[in-house]
Amino acid sequence: MATATYVEEQRSTDKTALITGSEAIAVACKLADVDVITAYPIRPYDTVMQYICKLVANGEMDCEYIVAEGEHSQFEIVKHASACGARVFCGSSGVGWMYAMEALTVTPALRIPMVAMVGNRALDDPGAFGVEHNDALTVRDLGWQLVWVDSAQEALDTALIAYRVSEDRRIFLPCAISCDGAFLTHSQALVKVPSQEKVNEFLPRYNRADLLLHPDNPITVAPQGNEDWVMEIRRQNYAAMERSSLVLKEAYADFERIFGRSYGNPFFEEYETEDADIVLMGMGTLSTPVKVAIRQMRKAGKRVGFVRMRWFRPFAAAELAKSLGRFKAVGVIDRDYSFGSPYMSGVLTTEVRSALYSAPGSKPPVLGFIAGLGGREVTVPDVEKVANSVYEAADGKSQPLTQWIGLRE
Amino acid sequence: MTILDVTNPVEPFLRTDRMPHIWCPGCGIGTTVNCFARALIESKIDLQSLALVSGIGCTGRVAGYVKLDSFHTTHGRAIPFATGLKLANPKLNVIVYSGDGDLSAIGGNHLIHAARRNIDLKVICVNNLIYAMTGGQTAPTTPGHAITSTSPYGTCEPAFNLPHLVEAAGAVYVARWTTFHVKQLARSIGEAFQKKGFSFIEVISPCPTLYQRRNKLGDGLDTMKYYKEKSKVKHGAPTSEVGLTMTGEIIVGKFVDRDRPDYQSLLHAQMVESLGESYVEPSETVCSCS
Ligand SMILES: Cc1ncc(C[n+]2csc(CCOP(=O)(O)OP(=O)(O)O)c2C)c(N)n1
Ligand code: SF4
Repeated sequence: MATATYVEEQRSTDKTALITGSEAIAVACKLADVDVITAYPIRPYDTVMQYICKLVANGEMDCEYIVAEGEHSQFEIVKHASACGARVFCGSSGVGWMYAMEALTVTPALRIPMVAMVGNRALDDPGAFGVEHNDALTVRDLGWQLVWVDSAQEALDTALIAYRVSEDRRIFLPCAISCDGAFLTHSQALVKVPSQEKVNEFLPRYNRADLLLHPDNPITVAPQGNEDWVMEIRRQNYAAMERSSLVLKEAYADFERIFGRSYGNPFFEEYETEDADIVLMGMGTLSTPVKVAIRQMRKAGKRVGFVRMRWFRPFAAAELAKSLGRFKAVGVIDRDYSFGSPYMSGVLTTEVRSALYSAPGSKPPVLGFIAGLGGREVTVPDVEKVANSVYEAADGKSQPLTQWIGLRE
Repeated sequence: MTILDVTNPVEPFLRTDRMPHIWCPGCGIGTTVNCFARALIESKIDLQSLALVSGIGCTGRVAGYVKLDSFHTTHGRAIPFATGLKLANPKLNVIVYSGDGDLSAIGGNHLIHAARRNIDLKVICVNNLIYAMTGGQTAPTTPGHAITSTSPYGTCEPAFNLPHLVEAAGAVYVARWTTFHVKQLARSIGEAFQKKGFSFIEVISPCPTLYQRRNKLGDGLDTMKYYKEKSKVKHGAPTSEVGLTMTGEIIVGKFVDRDRPDYQSLLHAQMVESLGESYVEPSETVCSCS
């Protein structure tokens, strides 16, 4: 496959770079020596396609790169390239991701590995550029592994992990890395860029073996199936997703061994939870205002913690329920909506409640909060308001199950 | 009369409460809107009969700035949306106003099929040779060698020659002008209003912010000079010969003006033929608002 042209020094030493979340994903693609990349512009994802195209044009990355005529073709092209054994990357945002829906459905159904970046953006209308999580969440039932990251470093590291898990023969399911639009895609931070040698050690080449679509290996991909086999096919995908948790754990352990950076529990991050009475939850860059607010609340003597969900699919229900059982009440902040859902709550809230319901042990009340839609900032006072309500629930006082925070009167 | 009493003749066609607009200094889109408004004035067309549909992009914003029934639909879907309007209310004059990327890339299939069916739509395509709104990426219209945000060393793909494409697909009226040709453009838009069937007017327009600047082609004014010097009016020119290059000649003019039954006439004829006397014309969609 593609041969990178790094100088020896670059290959063997880690570096530190000031880059955005999108650039971090682009750098991960370069390190992963991706073979085929397709693009179609839409904010905020388009930043990553522009960084990558510069890497390709400057000869720093040897890969096929094409700007397709729309997201539907964009995702179809990589899907088929992956069936031919190429390591692929693509991505989109908001309605662009939705426009690719047919390909997004077929990719996991056919067990095609792929890594995509979703620069989370509000769905149309009214065409807002800011972040909401509903775009990536639309594929939550289809077999996509879904992860939310909150820093450029995590974006780079998770992209490498995503390739490893997605292309693992036990899994062969696509993985989408969600990066909050603007807050992460466009914000710079210092990032440790690992050496090529370490990445090569961590990430084996993608090998489809007998599933390779190649003239020497005549196979039919996607033959018609009906009620005779559909249940069995779905069950195989179910089993692959079930295995994903295990393969992810292996990958994080290896990541720590090779790169010396630990993410603790791969599925969710806990912050200041050891002695916490109540915890807040959320995904993506919500962590920034929430952590600041928690530090302030702690100074005022309130023992509040935070659980940031990293992997949404697979959803670590049992582990999460065990962890949440330690607290008196939980407040989940959703940067998404699910109109008509149970208690009209956001998607994450509903999943957290469902995870707790069937788990043994204590079940704290779970309040849902919808905030930060369309890129609206979630402020420290917003978080304090959330925490106050959760405290009330912890004290046994009745609170609404879903509240909208930061809404203009 | 004080100077403050003077209103621009096109102002009544604009939603001035939405101003200032988003377009950059030197951008050509505003010029095309001016020409469009002048065509409305000159053709004395009934504004109640007009509906304007645009897709997404800098050009797509036109829908929000004109004081007409307008719809800012999703990226690439202006033509199917307009087709629906026309089918539901055949008396409407439906205008599609959108960018080259919207119409020929993500919406390219709709473009050729609407031309093939000869749906009675007037398409104004502002061609700034890139996807502007998203940062100036290579589009299917970008001329070879042009530098864009996805082709730092020049585009290697061949571009669509849009007049040729739509003529081949079946359009009955095809013209091209630049934003320098304001009179001719306004006249062409007026002519298209008179035409029954799929009409396509391509307007070559500068995007000084993302296209001209990256390609060191100067600013908006320099582009006007280029359009003035390098444009050649050739009415009836074979569309196969009007492809664009980065700095070469721009052939402008009315290339195609022909007649062929539009979709609704064909449908009507077929219904009459197959159902004979029992065929009842669909009743008109009547709007109950005043
Ligand atoms: C499905 C979908 N994909 C991508 C986008 C992002 N997008 C917005 S405008 C645009 C391109 C506009 O280019 P063009 O139609 O040429 O109009 P211009 O801005 O140049 O006037 C794109 C790709 C979108 N809104 N929806
Ligand atoms: S980016 Fe280009 S097309 Fe868009 S408003 Fe500015 S000059 Fe016009």
